[in-house]
Amino acid sequence: MIEQLPILNLLVLLSTALVIPLFKKRTFNMTLWFGFFTLFFVFISSIVLTYHVYVHGAFYYHLGGHAPFLGIELLIDGFATFFTTFVLGLLILIYSYSAGDATEGISEKEYGRYYILLFILLFAMLGIIYTNDLFNIYVFMEILSITTCSIISIKRKKENYTSAFRYVMLNEVGSLSFLFGVALIYMITGFTNIGLVADALPDVWALYPANIILAVGFMVIGIGIKAAIFPFHVWLPDAHASAPSSSSAILSGIVIKVYALIFVKMLFRLYGVDLLTELNIPIILTVTASVGMVLGSMFAMAQKDIKRMLGYSSVAQMGYIVLGISLFSYLGLRAAFFHITSHALLKSALFLSVGAIIYKQKERRINHYDGIGKLMPLSMGVFTIAALGMIGIPITSGFISKYNLGLAALDANQTILIGVLVFSGLLNAMYYLPIIIQAFLKEPKTPVYMIKLEKIPLTMMLPIAILGLAILTLGIYPNLVMNLIDLAVESLGF
Amino acid sequence: MIEFLQMLYDYVNYLGAVALFIIGLHTVVTHSNLIKRIMGINIMGTAVFYFFIAIGNVTGGLPPILTDTPGEYINPLPSVLILTGIVVVVSITVYSLSLVIRIYETYGTIDQDEIAKINERENADD
Repeated sequence: MIEQLPILNLLVLLSTALVIPLFKKRTFNMTLWFGFFTLFFVFISSIVLTYHVYVHGAFYYHLGGHAPFLGIELLIDGFATFFTTFVLGLLILIYSYSAGDATEGISEKEYGRYYILLFILLFAMLGIIYTNDLFNIYVFMEILSITTCSIISIKRKKENYTSAFRYVMLNEVGSLSFLFGVALIYMITGFTNIGLVADALPDVWALYPANIILAVGFMVIGIGIKAAIFPFHVWLPDAHASAPSSSSAILSGIVIKVYALIFVKMLFRLYGVDLLTELNIPIILTVTASVGMVLGSMFAMAQKDIKRMLGYSSVAQMGYIVLGISLFSYLGLRAAFFHITSHALLKSALFLSVGAIIYKQKERRINHYDGIGKLMPLSMGVFTIAALGMIGIPITSGFISKYNLGLAALDANQTILIGVLVFSGLLNAMYYLPIIIQAFLKEPKTPVYMIKLEKIPLTMMLPIAILGLAILTLGIYPNLVMNLIDLAVESLGF
Repeated sequence: MIEFLQMLYDYVNYLGAVALFIIGLHTVVTHSNLIKRIMGINIMGTAVFYFFIAIGNVTGGLPPILTDTPGEYINPLPSVLILTGIVVVVSITVYSLSLVIRIYETYGTIDQDEIAKINERENADD
């Protein structure tokens, strides 16, 4: 029975998306509750799967019972179960926030459509994490990119249309490059199953090196565009800034992380460390990641709009993740995975608290944030915690991930990376601290007694508070997830 | 020279696919007309599909249908994959064309440069 859960999860999410339009005549609350229960069910079932994998080990699921070289194969291991559980847990929080706020800029008839897109998005993300087939990854990637674009363009504003258009164009270039890579791999091995290709690659490497080099290039660039890895990040700030706040949290917190996970899967499960080291991929990645970490923060400093600033900050943070991956070691990957978790929490907390501020104060310009901490103590408090996490102050989860990254860099004898890490942390402080100081130490422009304090719906306040607590908890007890992360790293062959 | 021509002849399908891919990429990146950029995406997609079909082809092979005639047959799997790929690219095209309609309604133009100018003017007003 438990073996059937992964496919059940996918089907439940997909059918929820299909059922929501039927509720059109009913009240909107019914859609919300229905969606919430499905999410909760899938969350529970993925916890069960995590436990099952932890105790009994990884297992394969063959769709329709076809052999792996013919059909699609799902691989349920520590890597897949940990990240699906995490994504779903975070999504439940963002979902309950979105019940209060997603509707900004969307007409009332279209509330339901937002949730249709959300569930298809989730379906695609889970599919990508589970699947063990290259072509299947491509298909899920396309579903993911079309839903993320429409979740941006659902808001009827002009900048949403242009940024969604830019996003869809670059995303398509990325997907097609990836597909070209898959074609090159299929040409020499005759498989699209990741496990079978990985077995065949060492033999064909001697015969057709040109194919493999091209395939690596196409795939790294293709996923690099989608994961906003430094030189390919141009679409990200506009897209993430113009989306509704809850979607920004999903896009910046989860979706680009899912692409980073495909990146990891491709590097370690498909090509393997030996082949990539021969092609100098680690050095290329380390350099781009370091440049991205520094330049992303510098761009962020120049922004006047707070959501655009957070978008650029995501570019810099993706640099940290790629840096961890590029060390190609157990410790490096462990640090990268922890940073994926911690940055997903931090960025969602930032976007949601900023979303609450925008919801209440209708203000996105950073220089108008004087005294907001006094008007909205909870939102700004969580913003502060998350911003301190971004800088890497102890007792937040951001510190643990930077500490682990530093250890991994030392382990790889790359002391210069420690310098880059510290410098980038300083840059982060330079654009996050002024906002905090401004918000708490300056007097608000409107006198305090004129405005009611923090009047936002409970469904929005609760997720923000939980995220703030989660950041602190992970900062103090990182071992809560470390066991699972270790399992995930081991399942990638370390 | 003869060897080079022979090589061109042997790999003409692969080279053609790569050429199409580059033409498509060039169109997407350099043109400012949004419709032309969507066309570029389509050309890129066609290139990849063409490449897939070329991989599966066996010179002088039979169609992959179960008959009594013995002999080599063409690999059907790439064609099947490409059917999925075509559906995906069509849906992306439809989506981006609908975006272009919205852009035309709000901006009154579908030229990237002019849209950028309009945006700049509005930001200057703020």
